[in-house]
Amino acid sequence: MGFYGSFSIEVEGSFFMIKIITRYGQLLLAAMQQTVLLALCGLFFACILGIFFGILGVTKNRFCRAVNRVFVDAIRGVPMIVLAYFIYFGVPAFINNIVASGSKFTLSALQAGTICLALNCGAYMSEIIRAGIQSVDKGQMEAARSLGLPWWRAMYRVVMPQAIRTMIPSIINQFIITLKDTSILSIIGFPELVNTAKNVVANTFMTFETWAIVAVMYLVVIEILTVISRVLERRLNRGRE
Amino acid sequence: MAENRNVKIHVSHLKKNFKKLEVLKDISTDIYEGEVVVVIGPSGSGKSTFLRCINNLEEITGGEITVDGMSLTDKKTDINKLRENIGMVFQHFNLFPHMDVMRNLTLAPVDLKKASKEEAAERARKMLVKVGMEDKADAFPNQLSGGQKQRVAIARALCMEPDIMLFDEPTSALDPEMVGEVLQVMKQLAADGMTMVIVTHEMGFAREVADRVLFMDGGYIVEEGTPQEVLLNPKEPRTIDFLNKVL
Repeated sequence: MGFYGSFSIEVEGSFFMIKIITRYGQLLLAAMQQTVLLALCGLFFACILGIFFGILGVTKNRFCRAVNRVFVDAIRGVPMIVLAYFIYFGVPAFINNIVASGSKFTLSALQAGTICLALNCGAYMSEIIRAGIQSVDKGQMEAARSLGLPWWRAMYRVVMPQAIRTMIPSIINQFIITLKDTSILSIIGFPELVNTAKNVVANTFMTFETWAIVAVMYLVVIEILTVISRVLERRLNRGRE
Repeated sequence: MAENRNVKIHVSHLKKNFKKLEVLKDISTDIYEGEVVVVIGPSGSGKSTFLRCINNLEEITGGEITVDGMSLTDKKTDINKLRENIGMVFQHFNLFPHMDVMRNLTLAPVDLKKASKEEAAERARKMLVKVGMEDKADAFPNQLSGGQKQRVAIARALCMEPDIMLFDEPTSALDPEMVGEVLQVMKQLAADGMTMVIVTHEMGFAREVADRVLFMDGGYIVEEGTPQEVLLNPKEPRTIDFLNKVL
């Protein structure tokens, strides 16, 4: 009995899997596109924030370094789900009730999601960039400065190109984490993959099949990212040995 | 010594602290155009710090340094412009590992618009001939031996056409058999009339090339004079003690 029972479940399982794919495949793929769109928007601004705050963290100016520390500590110290609620609900409420009473300022889920990812990923990126720059031997900066290059030129021409090589693996890692973090933004109603999958489950009650498909979809996209990063890393390290 | 020579580097009552540690306590000296000054002394005596103060790699705590009449502490002095005129060679070479030798040499002149790419490349080739490295223009630093790296580093500094060269223990990180080739290049530079300040432990080189030797200890210049005076007939007990240990 047990043998036949498990056999029939397996057949049914794969059958429903196909049903989900044929009926909701398009929808889930579109949701994946939204996920990737949100991740790309977030990462774009995260890179800008990361470079800006990362460089602040390696300047000699004590005030600049303090700004870097406050930013990183504040963002790192708050769970992203709280940050998402705060930006999507809290900030518009604050503006409409206190700053400009009666106004109707709102953020779309994409805007709020982008800000949220940019801040969160930006904080971690700035740490990666700061550490990468600091990993370059101090003598490199000194040699460049001794030739008369201003600090910025020395940073750009000599230190950064060397720092980026050591930063690439960590940056790709952070990209992957950020891509996965988009799922948290399902809570503010952005129609990314997890949000859409929830709706599919609500309609079909096929929990196992739906989440299995979603998991595989994430896996595939991240695997693609990993392969790209490996190629990039190899190319950057060429000529080093 | 000629009487009317120009003072290139004027140092008066130089002080340098790292946090609470006083590294340089009171240094005063003048370095003349074309003069080769060798600085010796035990480790921790402040020799390297003194050298690094001259091109402002270390910000000075007190006193004054003027290079070519321009004060380092004067806010109006463009420190980057001043540095273009002061070449520096480091103990650990500090070549840029992500660039080939040619690019190492032309980076600063081109980036600072001192020369066009072609002019800089031509000058770089001349400098490489001068240090005997002309066949390594396309090599990367990690393909060179220590002595070769240091010769390239000297050529890199020379490409900015400086009037003054600072050497911070240029042979200390080299295998013994490579010391000679670097010292040979430095000797040639001295013969060409370059103003040089050299921190080194090579006493033989000091005796042969230096116009003047400074012996530093504990943040002061303890004794100075010609190599004859300082190295062969030292008067200060601390100098005698040091020389007994190293010679």
